[in-house]
Amino acid sequence: MNEEKKYQKDFFEDRIENIKAEDIRKALYVFHRKLSNQSAAYLNSCLHCGLCADSCHYYLSTGEIPSIPAYKLSLIEKIFKKHFTLLGKRAPGWVKAKDLTKDLLPEWIDSLFGRCTLCGRCSLNCSVGLNIAYLIRAARGALASVGLVPPGLQSTINTAILKGNSMALPREDWIETVEWLAEELRAEVNDPQAEIPLDRKGARLLYTVNPREPMFFPLSIVAVAKIFYAAGESWTLSSEDYDVTNYGFHSGDDNVAALISGRLVRSMEKLGTQDLVLAECGHGFNSNRWEAPEWLAKKYGFDVKSIIQIVADYIQKGRLKLDPSRNPEPVTLQDPCHLVRLGGIVEEQRYILKRAVARFIEMNPNREKNFCCGGGGGQLAMPRFAKRRLEAGKIKADQIKETEAKVVASPCHNCIDQLLELNKHFDLRVKIKTVAEIVADALVI
Amino acid sequence: MLSILRWGVIASFLICIISLIIMVLKTLSFGRKPVYAKSQGKGIRGILYAFGKGMMPWEKESTRRHILTYTGGTLYHGGIFAAFFCLFSLVMSFELSIPLKFLCSILIGLGFLSGVGLLVKRILLIPLRKISCVDDFAANLAVDVFLALALLNIFYPGLETFFYGASIILFLYIPAGKVRHCVFFFYARILFGLFYGRRGVLPRKIRFET
Repeated sequence: MNEEKKYQKDFFEDRIENIKAEDIRKALYVFHRKLSNQSAAYLNSCLHCGLCADSCHYYLSTGEIPSIPAYKLSLIEKIFKKHFTLLGKRAPGWVKAKDLTKDLLPEWIDSLFGRCTLCGRCSLNCSVGLNIAYLIRAARGALASVGLVPPGLQSTINTAILKGNSMALPREDWIETVEWLAEELRAEVNDPQAEIPLDRKGARLLYTVNPREPMFFPLSIVAVAKIFYAAGESWTLSSEDYDVTNYGFHSGDDNVAALISGRLVRSMEKLGTQDLVLAECGHGFNSNRWEAPEWLAKKYGFDVKSIIQIVADYIQKGRLKLDPSRNPEPVTLQDPCHLVRLGGIVEEQRYILKRAVARFIEMNPNREKNFCCGGGGGQLAMPRFAKRRLEAGKIKADQIKETEAKVVASPCHNCIDQLLELNKHFDLRVKIKTVAEIVADALVI
Repeated sequence: MLSILRWGVIASFLICIISLIIMVLKTLSFGRKPVYAKSQGKGIRGILYAFGKGMMPWEKESTRRHILTYTGGTLYHGGIFAAFFCLFSLVMSFELSIPLKFLCSILIGLGFLSGVGLLVKRILLIPLRKISCVDDFAANLAVDVFLALALLNIFYPGLETFFYGASIILFLYIPAGKVRHCVFFFYARILFGLFYGRRGVLPRKIRFET
């Protein structure tokens, strides 16, 4: 462990150790404020039947009881019962009700941050249908209010707030990268007029990217640019607010999440674009498509779409010509939880891949019933839980092996990062690609 | 004595209903969050799914994997409804026909066995025991006793006193413990349907035929 990480870890342990009573009261107050009738109904409904256990990749891969979704929920239930139910107030031992105290905090942090990717698979398999991820996120928000977000995740959030994007990419570097990528595009499509527009007012689409793309995988931006070029689309990037990610979503801090997503809204308004198009990013889609309007208490005057919807639409309307033989290797698909189960984009990626590759193989289970890869919920930004994250990825690794595919397509950069690690850890010997990269390879221009 | 107990059942039933109504109102008082994001599907379709197809064992991996528990739970609830029906007939003093008594005894008997089975499962399986609290065992036990006495009362009508007693205890316990899910199940299931229905996930909104 390097010195900085050690310092962060010690600092965090110290913070937990020395938490003040007033901080705990504040966390409780925030938790109470976050409760709506929905959460109260959920917290009154768990049957403790345990049927959710086998739906969680954490429990399936380790068999540890604290990874059972009902157990994680029970940590939140304790507090709710203690404050809001008759038996919890009068006979707390009868219903395991407990006040939020210092000794409960380490378990809250370990279970709610370290054993959950907010993937929502447990909700589908719950006898009642409780939205456990929603409650865990609310509890994370209570911890966030008193500075108890694990350091890696918190520093990613701080970077996004202070630097404008989660990778601290300076504006000049971003502009320079886009210019360089435009040259790549021109070479690729053999057209000196081809361009990657930046800050073009009145374009039809504003495209956002995951900052890891310009930092580490810039060619995925070229792939999307190539698709837009082939479709003859009117689009633009923004030189300032372009980050599709929102780690405030993972920390449960709605104010921070609103601030980050609000930047994209500002970009839309500034450039006067018609639709906001989100890069291949699961939580970015869920955040900006579904949650941000709630955080900002605002009905958007524009549509928020995933690039996957846009590409599927191009293919359906004949705006793209694809040659699947250019992708001869068997391809399987990783369904990102926040795009599919929680986002409602289920068939589009299949529609695309079936037309862009020679052989498409489904994982089992798939679509909304898919397993989380283990990289969601901010896990990739929390090194303290890295070992557990890799272990939990075993389920996904087994699914991939079973398909015997040579390429795994994933419309989510977070999933891709986790899959790259699983590829090494479980020796899967597959290539990991975004859907746009696969489409770009199949394009006939 | 019987008359007093009968009134006791009616009173405890009313207390139960009033308490549950208060609990629902209290839950509603936590406030409703307005919805701003554009819907992709219809909430009502999600609700229909949640109470229809979504309840089927093949729709959920958890029930497919634990089909015995699912069956046990279904029989348990069938038995409970039959026992409440028997209690209702007793309180309202109308005689059940022989075939109806036979049907009720089968349902209650299977329900009782399932309830005991689920209780034993909760006691024996460590993961299940770890996520349980006293309330889980007590609620199961209270319902099992209620079912046992409902069943015995069909064959030995002299046990009415005990059946009434168990019913009073159960009615009073319902709002306090986990059996309150008799109301909150529907509440949570509606929310489940609305969530997935609006997002076009369940039932799946197909825009691109693959």
